[in-house]
Amino acid sequence: MEKGTAARLDDTLERSALGDQFAFEQIVRQHQGMVFSMACHFLRDRALAEELAQEVFLNLHQNLHTIKSPEHLVFWLRKVTSHRCIDQSRRQKVRPQVSLEDVAEPAIDASENDLFLSEMLRRVVDTLPEKARLVVILRYQEDLDPGEIAGVLDMPLNTVKSHLRRSLSSLRDKLSRTLGEVTL
Amino acid sequence: MSRLDDELRKAFKREQPSADFAERMLKLVAQQPEPRMRWWRRLGALLEPPKLRWVAIGVTASLLLAIGAAQYRKLNETVVSDKVTTASKNPENTENAHPAVKSPDSSKGEPERGPFNVKATMKRAPRPANRRIEPARARQEREMRAEGQAAKESLMLALSIASSALSDAQKAVHDDGLKP
Repeated sequence: MEKGTAARLDDTLERSALGDQFAFEQIVRQHQGMVFSMACHFLRDRALAEELAQEVFLNLHQNLHTIKSPEHLVFWLRKVTSHRCIDQSRRQKVRPQVSLEDVAEPAIDASENDLFLSEMLRRVVDTLPEKARLVVILRYQEDLDPGEIAGVLDMPLNTVKSHLRRSLSSLRDKLSRTLGEVTL
Repeated sequence: MSRLDDELRKAFKREQPSADFAERMLKLVAQQPEPRMRWWRRLGALLEPPKLRWVAIGVTASLLLAIGAAQYRKLNETVVSDKVTTASKNPENTENAHPAVKSPDSSKGEPERGPFNVKATMKRAPRPANRRIEPARARQEREMRAEGQAAKESLMLALSIASSALSDAQKAVHDDGLKP
């Protein structure tokens, strides 16, 4: 991050902590994509994800004075969103526990349609346990390395690595069974 | 990097919420009660880097002013006590200086003063008639002058330290302001 940009972000954060609504709006606009996407990919429900993102930003507004830097802000948002996602998932209890075998088979060739493949991947990831799902989302949506994921999820590094390994292995198995000739 | 990684990145790319998300968020925030900062948090906030500088400047300036004031008071007390001693060695002068003590009637038309009103004592004390105490007085005055000089130097040193500390701080703040 450039020095000037970092200083500007610091300034926005400071003004926001002092009650500047415009500065807070800037923060929301800057990070809404990250928070919403994490929730949306985890919950697979846009309305619920927006609701959760609102809760996260409200929580942020109440805790702005504890945020020390823009990097800390991003870390804080990822951590709180992850925890909220797990809480929401446990609170709902309506989420059907779909096994990998129950995921619908594709009706068309995946190589012809990237959108279809993406949707297929999301559905397969959706069958993973909560923590493993979050690990995959943080790895591929936020492009975090296992060490950073371990920090966000308060998990040992080796647990993160084994979650990733097992998730990718089962994804590969399922997809190769489903899509046949497509090599992943 | 495998194709699965690429496909997962594509599948989990960021999405945006509805366009009015930020506006709705701000409305929601406006409805919330103002978050209250606890007093220890406010105190803690004062010790964070940008504000700590001003706190340090204030504390340093106050400390130097207190030292200066204490030095000045000490000097003043020394001078006053020396003057009282000198005055008490000359009963005639003391008598003249404090008419209220011996003959209250003689101070008609003037406000009544206490026996230790040194200012009045020194103003009214005439030059001593007794020439034999001259050398002792001269010595005393020399000592007083030396003490006064030393105290003055201490005070000037304290003030110059305060001044340089303040100018350094001002320069640091100015430099910070110029940084992009």
